Parts: sequence; structure tokens; C-alpha cells
Amino acid sequence: MIGLHRVSKVFAGKRDVTALHPLDLRIPKGEMVAITGASGSGKSTLLNLIGGLDHPTTGAISVDGRELGSLSDDELTRVRRDKIGFVFQFFNLLPSLSCLENVSLPLHLRGWPRQQIHERTTELLNLVGLGKRMEHLPDELSGGERQRVAIARALSVYPPILLADEPTGNLDSATGVEILSLIKDLHRRLGTTVLMVTHDMSVARACERIVQLKDGVIVSDARVESQAAT
Amino acid sequence: MSKWIAFLLASCALGQDPRQIVEEVQRRNRSTSQRYEGTLTVTSAKSRVTQKRWRYERMGSFGDSKAALRFLEPPEVKGVALLVHNHRDRSSDQWMWTPELQRDRRIALQDRSTRFFGTDFSFEDLEERDAGQFDYKLLGEEKLDGQMCWKLESRPRQTKRSQYTHSYLWVRQDLYVYVMVEGYKDQELLRRIAYRDYENVKGLWTARLLEVLDTKRRSRTTMKLEKLEYGVPMKDEDFTLQALRRPL
Amino acid sequence: MKLLNLLSWPYVRKHKLRTLLTLAGIVLGVAVFTGMHTANLTMQSAFQRTVDRIAGKAQLQVSAGETGFPEDVLERVQSLREVSAAAPVIEAALATPQGTLLVLGVDMTGDSSLREYNLEGDDEDVIDDPLIFLAQPDSMIVSKQFAARSGLGRGSKLALKTMGGQKTFIVRGVMKATGLATVFGGNLAIMDIYAAQAVFGRGRLFDRIDVGLSEGVSVREGAAKLQALLGPGFQVEQPQSRGAHFESMARGLTVSINLASLFALLIGVFIIYNSFSIAITQRRGEIGVLRALGASRGQVRGLFLLESVVLGVAGSLLGVAAGLALARGVVPGLAATLQDVFGHAVSASDITISPPLAAFSVFIGVMASLVGGYIPARSAASVDPVKALQKGRNQVLSEGENRWRRRAALICIALSAALIGFGDANAYFYPGYLSGIASLILLSPSMAMWLARALRPVLKTVWPVEGALAADSLIQAPRRTSATVTALMLSLALAVGFAGVSRGIYDSLIEWMRHTLNPDLYVSPSRSITAKTFRFPASMAGELRSLEGVEEVQPVRNARVMIGGEPVMAVSLDIGAIARRVRVKPVEGDRDEMVRLASEGQGVIISDNLSLMRGIHRGDILEIPSPRGLLKLPVLGSSVDYSDQQGSFLIDSKLFQRYWGDDTANLFRIHVKTGYSREKVRQRILKKWSGSHEIFVYTNEGIRDYILNLTGQWFGLTYIQLAVALIVAILGIVNTLTVSITDRRRELGVLQAVGGLRNQVRRTIWLEAVSIGVVGLVMGAGAGLVMIYFNLHMLHRDLGGLRLDFTVPYAFMAAMTPVVILCSFISALWPAESAVRASLVESLEYE
Repeated sequence: MIGLHRVSKVFAGKRDVTALHPLDLRIPKGEMVAITGASGSGKSTLLNLIGGLDHPTTGAISVDGRELGSLSDDELTRVRRDKIGFVFQFFNLLPSLSCLENVSLPLHLRGWPRQQIHERTTELLNLVGLGKRMEHLPDELSGGERQRVAIARALSVYPPILLADEPTGNLDSATGVEILSLIKDLHRRLGTTVLMVTHDMSVARACERIVQLKDGVIVSDARVESQAAT
Repeated sequence: MSKWIAFLLASCALGQDPRQIVEEVQRRNRSTSQRYEGTLTVTSAKSRVTQKRWRYERMGSFGDSKAALRFLEPPEVKGVALLVHNHRDRSSDQWMWTPELQRDRRIALQDRSTRFFGTDFSFEDLEERDAGQFDYKLLGEEKLDGQMCWKLESRPRQTKRSQYTHSYLWVRQDLYVYVMVEGYKDQELLRRIAYRDYENVKGLWTARLLEVLDTKRRSRTTMKLEKLEYGVPMKDEDFTLQALRRPL
Repeated sequence: MKLLNLLSWPYVRKHKLRTLLTLAGIVLGVAVFTGMHTANLTMQSAFQRTVDRIAGKAQLQVSAGETGFPEDVLERVQSLREVSAAAPVIEAALATPQGTLLVLGVDMTGDSSLREYNLEGDDEDVIDDPLIFLAQPDSMIVSKQFAARSGLGRGSKLALKTMGGQKTFIVRGVMKATGLATVFGGNLAIMDIYAAQAVFGRGRLFDRIDVGLSEGVSVREGAAKLQALLGPGFQVEQPQSRGAHFESMARGLTVSINLASLFALLIGVFIIYNSFSIAITQRRGEIGVLRALGASRGQVRGLFLLESVVLGVAGSLLGVAAGLALARGVVPGLAATLQDVFGHAVSASDITISPPLAAFSVFIGVMASLVGGYIPARSAASVDPVKALQKGRNQVLSEGENRWRRRAALICIALSAALIGFGDANAYFYPGYLSGIASLILLSPSMAMWLARALRPVLKTVWPVEGALAADSLIQAPRRTSATVTALMLSLALAVGFAGVSRGIYDSLIEWMRHTLNPDLYVSPSRSITAKTFRFPASMAGELRSLEGVEEVQPVRNARVMIGGEPVMAVSLDIGAIARRVRVKPVEGDRDEMVRLASEGQGVIISDNLSLMRGIHRGDILEIPSPRGLLKLPVLGSSVDYSDQQGSFLIDSKLFQRYWGDDTANLFRIHVKTGYSREKVRQRILKKWSGSHEIFVYTNEGIRDYILNLTGQWFGLTYIQLAVALIVAILGIVNTLTVSITDRRRELGVLQAVGGLRNQVRRTIWLEAVSIGVVGLVMGAGAGLVMIYFNLHMLHRDLGGLRLDFTVPYAFMAAMTPVVILCSFISALWPAESAVRASLVESLEYE
């Protein structure tokens, strides 16, 4: 599903900073993978590269069979909107739009018919348990609710891949657990490939596989034995 | 001679009294009329020479005379005329006629100090003024051009109407004619007129050559008097604006 | 100062473009202010300089309006003991390939006592022979500059158009390039005054007598003596006071300029306010740190005020420079307009730079900058350090602030209505006007919000994401948009206000022309019918009448006379004859009675604008100065007449000829017999006088076009204003958008992250810009209608005494709409590109 070959990232500047040293990674379809590591270990960079938000300095990335390196910005965007859903630490909801509008955003951008958009959006919001708060603005919601909206938005087109960058990072632990189980639940029900960046090992352990980064190098890549965390 | 030139600075004295001298000059020069053709040669400071010719006619003498001056040459100015009506008690009236424009114009009093059309005479120099308009003083006796002269000073009584504050006059003791006149503004000499080549014409001693020097512009004009006649019969209507319109 | 260096400078360097835009706001305001005033000043001082240099040593000038007066007045003036010198003058302006040539007719026999003729040549006798100069009417002395421009030397021939057709003059002297010869940009020629009378068809009239006083006579004493001698028909004035007449004639222009400058400055204030508000919103964190580190509120406020002063000084200096350049560009056109509209030739070869004006411009530029920066500086000072250091934006205009504004606006509206309702005097009207404008400004943020909210559903329907986001951007950040919208509103309001008035003037002019200007042909001695250089002799009327096909000839003589110290156009014509052809409903008075009495010379008919401006009504006695004494005539009535901006009156030609001794004509109105072709008669007239007179024969349509064209020139200003509005729109929108894309960087990033294509991102920015344009347009149009109302009142009371109907300039508004929208769109191009090029990763992490 996702393949990285000799991918590295160097941020040019007064002093070049190597965020990722050349690495290989393969994530098969339907897997739920956590990428962990300390702050600055390159985990977010890795996620951005896979999401096509940034270009690698070297190496090749393929997503669902498409080679990202050869794509123009708009083609990258098309890949993103057809195949990838994003969930961010700070939710990144548009504050002026209601929950409904936020969730329908990717569908509108794709030019779906209004009726279909409405149906899908309602369905998704019900799915994440916000069926009653559809017309609310993000500011009127709690952090957990906002992240649910963000997840609903990320899943609005039923993308095969969900990329989540510290989805629980800005939430209290109880809400975090709740969100995590929502993601897991969706992963199970929709068969979505999930790639989650977190520095919280308890969150990581909820996944099937943990890739650990340190200073831009993969230091461990292991399957999770037991589903200890709940 | 050119009593009309005496105009400017009529003055002087007989014996010891300066006024008597001037009155004697005027008496001896009195004639009922005068006519001549003047050839004027103007030599500028840069020695550029221009020539003009005019015909002069005068009726009456000192104080109540009338004069008409008409240009004959050069061709561009032919027919341009100046009419002067002298008055005993005040400045003269002057008009100019320009045939090309068919217009006459008054020469205002204020303008009389300006040059008379490219010569070194001023309009004022072309007036005849009665001795009564001036105060005279005898300054002494001087020999000029080999002739004994009285040197007189004249001052206009109405200072505002003359460009000169005072003038010096040299009068020949033998003939009672002017030999030289100098016009001053304060200490500065403005104009010197010399009378030469005296000749007796019909009993009147007349200078046939005048020399005017404009000291400021260092330009000089000489005028030769030709076809000089006295006592020619003339009529008042020849000295009107209408008469000027008649072609020469 | 240290703070400035430490904090402001890096910000400036980081936001070069924004700093430039802020600067541009100040530059624009100051440049328009300086430029327009310099242009105006240039015209006036050029006129005054010409007057002064021509006047030479003359201490007083005697004139009788523009009518001229008989020659015998000269002798009366010269007879006065107090007068040492009096020289008559005629002035004429001739068109030459080297520009307008001012020809001065003087009496060369005596004129040198008042004027210095520095003649060029190897010795002083430059007119080769003064006698030839006077004897030959084709003699002319020209300035060295004109000689050089036209390749002339002594003895050269110069062909000029005169009353007698093309005439060849001979240059008999060249004046040195000093003193008098520098008058009128050096385009000066001297002629003998009597020759000039003939050449320009002036009869035996002088325009003016220049007077030098005897020693010891004071100017006041001399003026009093002359006035007593000549009577009230003459103006005895010092040369320097003539500039004042010119000023009063061009007052309409001055008022327009002041208004435009005021608006330009206001607009500048808003651009500055906009930039500073934005800067402060963006620098909240910095301000919070500063406050947390112990800076007092006063220090923070001081820092921002200091920034506005520094920017104000820099912008003002640039603005003054730009303004001078602007003036240089405007002056030639302005001079041409003044010459056409007023018939006064003004030559301004270079602009007049006034250091006090420049200093004042800098001062008001800095003041404007301070005013624009004050509220943002105050709000910077009120930043709460704790809140500022927290993440998240906090820039929504507080509802309280808006409420306060709305209340103040209501008070202003009430005040404005009360003042205007209370009385008609200027003391009520202008404060009423200003509070009306103030209420518009105060209301504009609220109105902008309402409009943006109203726009959102529309936009959302068409573009669900981009449209909604664009509208939200306006709604969410009023501080970012409202100042730009206000600036745009003000500038468009000014243009709409002007356009409405010009539309109104246009319409009523056409109406007036339809009724009044109905002869078939006009015969004029000059190409411009307002020019006063040439006049026809009275005898020509008879000759015209005798031509085949001519039914009626009506000679018209018009010239300004001074009534109550201000110029009024006297129009002398055969009132009875005109009345048979022109049927206009009078504003005051009974038509038949008016015509009967006026044609008997029993009174005058005044123009409605004269009546309005001077408060003169039917039955009042008009005291008209004439060379034969004060003419006291009853006002028989008034009618609409656009002959002159300062007002005019109709007087029967017989009476005029008697009192002014002037039977010349400026214009002949000709009616063609039925059955004859206008064109044939026109050709006949041209043929008859070809060669002997220079004449221009216009058809009715020609003259109407001519007048409309002239009016069009006058209102060309509208387009300058629209251009300013567009510059404001572009500046403001670029400014707002650069901030908007910074503020919304994250939002735009999200849009792209969730699948927004580049064009979709661009579109939301374009839509935001166009929305600002549309909101500005709607508000500008509304405010413009208010402006039209005020402008009409202003015209009515002060400028031309015009009674105009309220006309909505639909065509202009229709034309400006796409232009403003297009400009808004263009302003969005660059910000939109920079938005899509921003790094996505950074955008998403941007805080």
C-alpha cells in the first residue's frame, strides 16, 4: 500500500538539518501502524512525506501504486484527496465553518452533488457520534468533539489511508483513549490503512505495528504482541 | 537761426541782466515763419550711422508758435509727422501722425524726455519755450570757438515738467545767438547741443549745423539745415491734425 | 528609539511589501494634496507673475472689467497731478506653433517710463529705428526666448493670424531674456498699441492703463484720486490684486481640488489605519512579551506612534516629490482648460514650488499618519500580556466597538440632518456636510459586515467552499477589511458624487442649449468662442445681413465687468430680436414684460446663477460700473443662463454701446432663411471674408459639441478621481489580502491538505478580493448618492449658482463596476500565487 525506498529529507538553511536519513519502509494495505520517537526524531516529517505535503530530498515514495515523486502539485493533491485522510494534533478545523461544512469540505472540493454530500456528511457525523451537533461551529465544541469532526472529515471520502499526526496529543487522556478507540473501530470497520504518529507509547501500543524513529533513523520496527492497551 | 532749437532753454541776458540777454536773443531771432529741410545723421556709440530727413515749418515765434515736422526719408517713415502747438504759459501739445496706420496719437507730457524717434533730440528739445518759464543767472563770460560769450544758467520754474534740473547756455556777445547749450539732471550732463556755421539769412543769424550729443548713450546727431526760408506765408489750418493727413 | 530599532525595523524588513503599501497610502494622500495645490498655485502665480512683470513699475492699473474703455480716459488719467506716468495697454493672446503668444500693445513713445525693455543687440538701439517701428504697423518686438523657439532674428518675418486674416509681421527688435521678456514663459511680443487696436479689431479702446505715481504720492492716495476722477465705472487697483480676480474665477476649480485633496488624505488615513491595525494584530505576541518584560502601556503606544511618525515623514517626503511630479503632469492640461473655459491665457512653463505648502503637506502627511496610527497604537497598548502570549487569534472587532461606532454614526446623521434642516447658511451647511461624511465613515465597518454576511449565501451557492471561505474571511476579520472597504467607499463616493453632478450639469446644459443656442450659424473671430483677443467691427453685421440666404444677424458682445468686486459677465445683445427667437421660461419675472423693458434699456435680465450666488432678485437695482459712470438698472427678472460660472446679465446692446462706447461684437448669431442650406450660407460667409478677416463659422451642432466638449474637459477630473479610487482599491486590497493569506495560512494549508486544488485555493482569494470590491462598490455607490446631494448643494450655493436636479449617474456607475471588480481581481493575483506557493507543512504548523 505504502512504500518508501531510500527516502531522506534534508531541510536546507544556514545549516542543513537532516530530518530523515535514507530509509526503507513498507506498509501493507489494512495495517494500523504507529510511528513513535522523541520530539525531532523525524516522525512528523515522515508522515508529511507520505501524505504528499512535502517532497523528499532523495528516494521514492509510492502510495497505492502511484509514484509521488513524478507528480505535480495538483496531481499530488488529487492523490491526497482520493486516497488519504488527515487528522492533525490541532484538529485544523476551519473556524468559520460548521461541523457539517467542515466535514463536507473535501466532498465539495471534489465536486460531489449536494444531495450526496449531505447524506455522506450526516452519516459520518453520526458515525463519530456527533449527529446532534452538526450545525455547531468548532469553537462551540470540546477538544474531543473537534477531533471527532476532524476524523469524520478525514474519512469523508472513505480513503484507503488515514494519516494521523498526534491525534490525541492535544486531548486529555480519557478523551485520547476515546478518540483512539474510534480510530481503531473505523480501521476495523472500513479496512482503512492507518498510519499514526505519536510520542505516547500507550497510544502506539494500540496499533498493530510500531516503527520507532531516532534522529531520522528507524531504530526498531516491530509488531505489537498483545493488545494490552485499551 | 533755429529759434526752434532755442526752445529748450530759452534764457539769458543782455548786458548784465541775464533775462535781458535771453529776451534779446529771442527778439533778434523773431520771425513770422520759418521753413527748412533738415538732414539728420545719427552716429551711435558703435559708429552705426543712420540718416533721416524732415521738413520743418513754423508759424509764429517763442511762446505761441505752431510747428509741423514731416519726415521725408527714409521711405519707411515718409509721411510720419509731428505737430507741436507751443503755449506761452505751459508745455506744448504734441501729436504724431502715422500714415500707414491712419492714426494720430498724442504725445503725453510724461513722454517728452524720451528720444525723438531715434535721434538724440528729446521731444522736450523740440519745444519752444518762452523765457518766462525759466529763471536765469549770469555765471560769467567765457571764450568759446574764439567768440566771447556769456555763460548763463537756466532753471525751469515748473521742475516737474522738464527732464533737466538746469541748463547752461553760452550766448555770443556779438550776435546774441546761442553757441552751446548743456542740459543737466542734478550734476549729470545729459545732452549737449552745439550751434555752428552761423550765417545771416534775411537778416537773421542762423546756425546751419547743429550737433547734439547724448552723453549717456554716447550717441551724436548732426543736423544740417537746408532750403532755409523765413517769412514764408503760412496759414493756421496748415497746423492741424487734418493737415497732417494730407500726403506730402 | 531603541525600541524602534529593536522591534520595528526587523518587522519592516520582514514585511517589506506591507511597509511599502503603508507608505503608498501616505504618499498617495500627500501627493494628491501637494500635486493639486501646487498645480493650482502654479496657475495663480503664473497669472500673477505675468501681471506683475507686465505691470513693471506701474503702481496702479486702471481697467473697466474686460470691456475696455475709450482712449480719452488716458488723457484724463494723465492730467492728474498725482500721476507721473500713464501708459495704455492692450493684451492679446495668439495661437502660434510655439504655443500661445502673449502680445502686448503699448505706446512705445512713452512706455519705457513704466516698463524696462531690455533690448538685445550690440548696442542699445535695438529697435533699429524707433521711428520705423512706429511708422510701420507690422512692427513687432519679440522676446529672445520666443525668437529662439521660432528661429527668428531681427528683420525676420513672422506670420500670425489676425482680424485681417493671416498677417506678416516684421521682427524689429529682440528683448533680452530678463524682466518683461520672461513674462508668459517667454512667449511675449510687443506691438505699438495703435497698431494692435487695428490688428485685433479693438476699435479705439484700451484694455488697461498702467499708472506710475508722482513722487510723494501714496498708492492709496493715488488710487483714491483716480477713482474719484474716473468714477465707479473703473477699477483702480494695484497690479497684485488682479490675481484675486483670477482666483475668484477659478474658485470652482479650487473647491474641487480641496475636496479631492481632503478625500485623498482621508483615504490615506484609512490605508495607514488598515496597515497598522493589521501589524498590531500580527505583533500581539511581540507586544505581549514586551509588556511581560515590563514595558508600560505608554511605552507600547509611544512605540507605535513613533513608527507612524517615521512612516509619515518618509511617506510625506516621497508624497511631496510625487505631488510635484503630478503637478508637472497636470499643469499643461489645466492651463488649456482655463484658457478654454475662461478665455484667460495662462502660461506656466514650470511649476511653482512653495516651501510653505511643501512643509504643510509634510505636516498633514505626518498628522494623517498619526491619526491613522492612533487607534491601532491605543489598542496595542491595551493588549493584555497574558492573553497575547496564549496561542490563538483574537482580532474580532468587539461588538462593543461596533456599537459605539453605530451610535456615533447615528448622532452624526442626526447632527447633519439638524444642521442642514436648521439653516441655509454656510455655517450650517458645511459642518452638516462634514458630519454626514463622518457618519458614513463610522457606519462603514458595520455596513461592510452586513454586506459581507448578505454576500455569503450567494457566494456559497455558487462556490460552496471557496465562496463561503472568502465571505467568512471578510466577516471574521473586520479589522482587516473594513478600513480598505472604507477607503474604497470614500474614493468611489467622491467619483460618483462628481459624476452625478457632471451628469446633472450636462443634462441641464443640453436643455439650455436646446432652448437658447438655436441660431443656425455662429460667426466668431477666434477658434475658441470664449477667447477675447479679437473682435468684429460693428459694420460687419450689416455686411452679413446683406448676404444671400441670411435672414437675421444678432451681434453679441460679452465681457466681464466688476460688480461688487467680483467679475460678472455682461452680455450685450438686441434683446428684442433675441426674444423673438429664444423662448425660455424665466425663473423670476414675467417674460413679456421683462423683454419689453429690457429692450428699451429699462433694466437687465440676470442669470439664475447670479441671482442665487449673490442673492439678487427681481426688483433689486444692479449697479453696473461702466466707463461713462455707474449704471443703475433694475433687475427685471432672471432666467437660466450658463454663459458664465460667475453669473451673467443681459443688457440691451443700445444701452451697452452708449455706456461703454463699444460697438464691436464677439460673436454673430445667424439665422438662415428657410429653403437655404446652412452649409451653403456658411461657405458664403467664409468666402466673403476669406483673406480679409480671420473668421470661424460654426454650425449649431458644432457649437453645442464645442460647449459639451469644454464641459467634458472640466469634468475630466472625474476620471482622475476614478483613477485614484482604483489605485486605492488596488493598494488596499493587496494590503488586506497579503495579511489575509498570512492570517489564513493554516486554513489554506488545510484546504490543500484535504484535497483543495491550487485553483480552488486561488479562487477563494480571488473571491475575497472581488467581495471587497463589491462591498466597496455598493457602499461607494450609496455614499456617492449622498455626495451628489451635498455637491449639488455646494454648486448651488457657492460655485456656480446652479439649480440642478438630482441625477443618478447610472452610466458612470455601470462603467465603474466592472473596472473596480477587475482591479480587485488583479490585486488578488499576486497574493493568490503567493498563497499557493507557500509550503504546506509550514502552513499547517503555522501559528
